[in-house]
Amino acid sequence: MISLATRMLRHRPGSSVATLLALALGALILTAMGVLVESGLRYHPAPVRYAAADLVVARPDTTFTSREFDGEIYRSTVALPEGGTVPAGLAGRIRGIEGVATVAVDENIAVHTGAGTPLSGRGWASAVLTPYELVDGRAPANDDDVVLSTDPVPGGLDSGVAPGGAASGGVSTGEAGRARVGEQVRLVVGGVLRTYRISGLARGNGNAAAVFFSDAHAAALAPHRGAVSAVGVIAAPGTDLGRLADQVGQVAGDTAVLRRADSGLAERSADGAAAGLLIQVGASFGGYVILLIVFVVAATIGLSVRHRRRDLALVRAVAATPGQVRRMIMAESALVSVFASAIGVPAGLAAAGWLTGELTSRGFVPEGFPMAPGVIAAAGATGVILVSAVLAGLLAARRISGIKPAEALGEAAIEPVSAGRVRWISGLVALTAAGSSAFAAVAAGGQTALGAALGMLYLFVLAVALLAPWINAAAARLLAPLLRAAFGTSGYLAAANLRANARGAASVLTSLVLAVGFGGSVWFLQNNLERQAVAQSRSGLIATRALVTGAGLSDSVVAEVRAVPGVRAATPVRNTSVVASVMGDGEVIGARAVDPAGIDATLDLGVTSGSLADLRDGTAAVSRTQASTFGWDLGEKVALRLGDGTPADVRVVAIYEHGLGFGDVVLPRSAVIGHTATNLDDQILISAPASADVALREIAAAHPGAALVDTGTVTGGLAKDLALSAWLNRLLIAVMVGYTVVAAANTMVMAALARRRELAVLRLTGVTRRQVKRMINAEQAGLLGVAVLLGGTIAALTLSSVVRALTGNLVPYVPPLGVATVLGGTAVLALATTILPIARLLRVPPVEHIGVRE
Amino acid sequence: MSVHTEPAVRVTGLTRTYHADGEPVHALAGVDASFQRGTFTAIMGPSGSGKSTLLQAAAGLDRPTDGSVWIGGTELSRLSETKLTELRRGRIGFVFQAFNLIGALTVEENILLPLRLAGARPDRAWITQVVDRVGLGQRLRHRPSALSGGQQQRVAIARALASRPEVIFCDEPTGALDTNTAAEVLTLLRAIVDEHGQTVVMVTHDPVAASYADRVMVLADGRIVHDMPQPGADRIAEHLATLGRSRAVTR
Repeated sequence: MISLATRMLRHRPGSSVATLLALALGALILTAMGVLVESGLRYHPAPVRYAAADLVVARPDTTFTSREFDGEIYRSTVALPEGGTVPAGLAGRIRGIEGVATVAVDENIAVHTGAGTPLSGRGWASAVLTPYELVDGRAPANDDDVVLSTDPVPGGLDSGVAPGGAASGGVSTGEAGRARVGEQVRLVVGGVLRTYRISGLARGNGNAAAVFFSDAHAAALAPHRGAVSAVGVIAAPGTDLGRLADQVGQVAGDTAVLRRADSGLAERSADGAAAGLLIQVGASFGGYVILLIVFVVAATIGLSVRHRRRDLALVRAVAATPGQVRRMIMAESALVSVFASAIGVPAGLAAAGWLTGELTSRGFVPEGFPMAPGVIAAAGATGVILVSAVLAGLLAARRISGIKPAEALGEAAIEPVSAGRVRWISGLVALTAAGSSAFAAVAAGGQTALGAALGMLYLFVLAVALLAPWINAAAARLLAPLLRAAFGTSGYLAAANLRANARGAASVLTSLVLAVGFGGSVWFLQNNLERQAVAQSRSGLIATRALVTGAGLSDSVVAEVRAVPGVRAATPVRNTSVVASVMGDGEVIGARAVDPAGIDATLDLGVTSGSLADLRDGTAAVSRTQASTFGWDLGEKVALRLGDGTPADVRVVAIYEHGLGFGDVVLPRSAVIGHTATNLDDQILISAPASADVALREIAAAHPGAALVDTGTVTGGLAKDLALSAWLNRLLIAVMVGYTVVAAANTMVMAALARRRELAVLRLTGVTRRQVKRMINAEQAGLLGVAVLLGGTIAALTLSSVVRALTGNLVPYVPPLGVATVLGGTAVLALATTILPIARLLRVPPVEHIGVRE
Repeated sequence: MSVHTEPAVRVTGLTRTYHADGEPVHALAGVDASFQRGTFTAIMGPSGSGKSTLLQAAAGLDRPTDGSVWIGGTELSRLSETKLTELRRGRIGFVFQAFNLIGALTVEENILLPLRLAGARPDRAWITQVVDRVGLGQRLRHRPSALSGGQQQRVAIARALASRPEVIFCDEPTGALDTNTAAEVLTLLRAIVDEHGQTVVMVTHDPVAASYADRVMVLADGRIVHDMPQPGADRIAEHLATLGRSRAVTR
């Protein structure tokens, strides 16, 4: 069968060009996405901070266990967004174990220079874990001493010698930013500006410039009470590390004991976050694209089967069983997919290289992140393309049963009069499913919203694909008088063609509807999310001013702000995350922790039920989308885990609307104290008259890195952040829309070129070349009108139901330029991809085409 | 002539009804016929008389509305589509008016296609004999597009013969050929009947083509109206003309 398929392909390569193109582009996209996923999955952080430790006790992730229907235990592990902690007392118990030479606790203390550069703040005892060794001076002995690493500090250090230094940028210590022992340095530690004396300098191979405090001071500054980020263990020489790890594991309880190869997992790094992003982006978009490929390729293979009906009927008549012909079609698709991979995969690897460059320059991926070469991705993409092609071939080959061997006998291959009942019923089922999914609850968040939108879109397009023969027939009947009026005789012929060839034009209609539906919905989804997030943030901020900082704000600042005369309310806000289990899978949810006192005067979350006044320890408010996704009701007790993995069973006391602007979970600030990475506030929302500005600005000036801004600026900042993350979404959506457009173009060119015989007959019977062109124009106008109507309806339904679920607005925002682009683009596409090939056919005298076998 | 008494093909009470615009059309209105082994039968009749429908039903390409078709000792109506295909490729040969061959395959591959699809080993000696008989020994490696119409039909006949079928059905095998080439093809068909005892059933509207047959059946309105042994071209033409006139009068 395969050799027969090879012969068929070699004889008429043209019939498979469209399939080849669709598959090659698919292979390109899948390979590029595969490289992202592969890089993310293969990323294994190398130990840096704990490079010298034999064992590290830490809690890098949290695991949810659930029982599946079949009784199997299902585990889902999620990296902790705020980093986990281990009990501080553990160090003492480990110290007693035989074979342990050194035990050191490690803290992550938020430290910034006066210029706002973040430094890695640690206790001196942990220096041996990296290791850092003193090159000058001595270890910090009291609360005022620090040891600085010899790494250069961007922006320099603030010596504090020059008066009023912070605001004026500070003076670099020593030559070329080098610090010297005995000098003073001003650092923002725990949100407070302090002056330290440099007691020593240390050299080591850490991630970033480090500041070491005395152990007692470090413990006092540490963000966690009674817990530390990690405990590092250095074994005595000759100790069996496996045994030691087991013994440490026994005292360590449920925390993880990481051997040297894995200790990088305990370090929080930008690389780790990037790895997660790459997996998520690559996997979700790759998944959407696979569906699209099957859809598109099924259409092109279906069309090529239709065009070779005669050949296939002959093979059926002389010898082949329906199963053999089906296998031949599948073998053909498989062969084409191999060629497509040969073209698409190398192109995909090149595209992945470009994408990596873009992601790095836009800050999604840190410089120097180890990207995988893509060997597995290439193999995976090839495999997926092969399976998709065979699957699409299988779908298309189902039509084979509709080809009667007797058709080989007749003079002309006449389309079967009516399409099957099964098709009609399946079409109605798909339509019903699409319609009802529009009313189903839609998950929140950009990625999931996109997934829901695409699911609905695919169902609608599937319904159109199945019902296309009836749609085309009905449209031809309705459009006939219109076309006749607009195009005369040509219009009359066009209407007749549309009616007679209702099934043949099905794939053309479907591909046009797919392009319009895609372009008109997912593309605008991003616009709606951004606009809505900004709008919610704007309408939800009652506060007039905000004190913002990248360095964090300590508790004392809130008190200072509240003490300013005229300030009606000040709400400290902490951006954090919580983890919850949905269907057994752990999911990270963006959250805000606020002080509920006076919140009415600073924030309006759009509470629809319950009240924020009830927000206290053991309670939470959740957004409407979050509540509907997780099935949470007012008053329900839900099991959350804080960002550091601490379980928190909270009662839902309020459900609010403005989830896009403020995150999906709001907790009382008291509940997260000691459970975030820095234990500092990110901003303070202030409700105060303009008269308080001077005093507020003074407070800001006393905290380097902090600034008093208008709340409008906060919203603007949010829009900027969104625009950045939207870039990636837009790029990938553009790729998908582009793919549907290419697929549509492909299908239409293929359909047009297959009409040479029919056009030759028309011309021989006296229809002029001009009339033929007008007829084609009329046909395309008819098809285009139907496609725009259907695609537009589908896009509108999809967009409005997703936007409604996310924002509560029934009418989505659609930029006028976008509408013009979608409509104009489709029109150009429909005309160019048909009229150009037809014009080429018409240049050849008709007699040459009349004998052409179909 | 064969020693078997059982006919190669037998149809009884064959009816085939189509629905066009909701109106039932009786393409075959109860046909009984049998085709003996080693005979050459021509089926004739005006357009729409049901001759092609009869051929399709008898060859297992189409299923009758009612009645039964026997190929040798096998009744077709109970066979699945796959069983029917297997029967066609082993026991029935086809020669159509045109487009008989797969353009992607060479002459030889086209001839061997049914055997290959059946997964059977071709009987080399027999194939050589068949190829020599149809006179295509020099063209085996060519593509069908390089052959003339008559040569293409001869390839189709060779393919039909390759599996030594019980019967070969021909649908207007000379319809697209000029007179001389048509005569060549018909002589070949006549020869395989005479020399190999092959059974051939041919639909044609050409009285000259029909004159090569042992027997001519004339259909009109889905029924057999004449069944003549070796009538000769003139008599056939006369019958057809009478038929045409009487039909015109009844209308």
